[in-house]
Amino acid sequence: MNLQQESQNGVIIVTPAGRLDISSAKLVEDSLIGIIERGNSRLVLDLSQLDYISSAGLRTLLVVAKRVETAKGKIALAGLKPNVREVLEVGGFDRIFAIHADRSAALAAV
Amino acid sequence: MLTFVEEILLLMLDDQDGRLVDLPRSAMNGVVAGAVLMDLAMHDRIDSDLQELRVVDKTPTGDPLLDGALARLATSPAGRNSGAWVEELARDADDLREQALARLVSRGILRKEEGRFLWVFHTRRYPVIDDREQREVKARLRELVLGTEIPDPRDVVLVTLVEAAGLWDLLLTEAEQDKAAERIAQLRKMDLVGQAMTQVVRDIQESIAVASTMAW
Repeated sequence: MNLQQESQNGVIIVTPAGRLDISSAKLVEDSLIGIIERGNSRLVLDLSQLDYISSAGLRTLLVVAKRVETAKGKIALAGLKPNVREVLEVGGFDRIFAIHADRSAALAAV
Repeated sequence: MLTFVEEILLLMLDDQDGRLVDLPRSAMNGVVAGAVLMDLAMHDRIDSDLQELRVVDKTPTGDPLLDGALARLATSPAGRNSGAWVEELARDADDLREQALARLVSRGILRKEEGRFLWVFHTRRYPVIDDREQREVKARLRELVLGTEIPDPRDVVLVTLVEAAGLWDLLLTEAEQDKAAERIAQLRKMDLVGQAMTQVVRDIQESIAVASTMAW
């Protein structure tokens, strides 16, 4: 799992590449919680390079969403591949996260 | 911390007389099997997606309630989905349920009472001695489903187990259940193993209903 991070107009954009499963879930969770704990509570997860998400990956997203909520921040997802989107929708995560077609739409929403 | 099997059994026990709620044994076994799988997932021993549930770490957790199931998963061919594993583990769930109840007794939460019904049938009850855990879980679940906050993954599992076991009547009034229906429908989807377990338990109950209709 490769995790790129950049900042744009006060929003932190994180781009995980590869697979979000049990082998990478802890890394992603710790990285994102670290970002929130440093006072950044406006986040965009650009998932355009995410090839796969498992149950463990969904749990990570849930933990992060809860942290953002506690910090009274905002988080949006962008650029999901169809297989990743399917898993999120089956799990009802499209009701927790705002899901946008691309990064610019997500940036405008947070 | 209690395992999910222990937590759901506590919720299934009638506060007054210590009997388990009236749920067909095969359906209860599906709930117990699902609880074990979701505990193994929380211990990072298994992972799953829409197609498959697989072991990612064979190292025992140290909890005998979970490690028997883990060993069985680890020595079985790969490629089965979550629902198939719920069905498989449900076959041994009588034993898991008894182990979990025995542990709740040894923790001082329940007391075991043996007796006879009509002087013939053997009965067993588990009156609650220490109801702190039970009260806390019920309060947490009520707050979660009647509120709007994002749940944590453990709470999602509990919602799924309560839904599959049909226990909302014990936690919410009818009016509260109506109010929370949409929220519960969303929360119960959020764990993929829990979703598969709920489907297995529903299928079992439907097949029992069909069989009893045919018997008439």
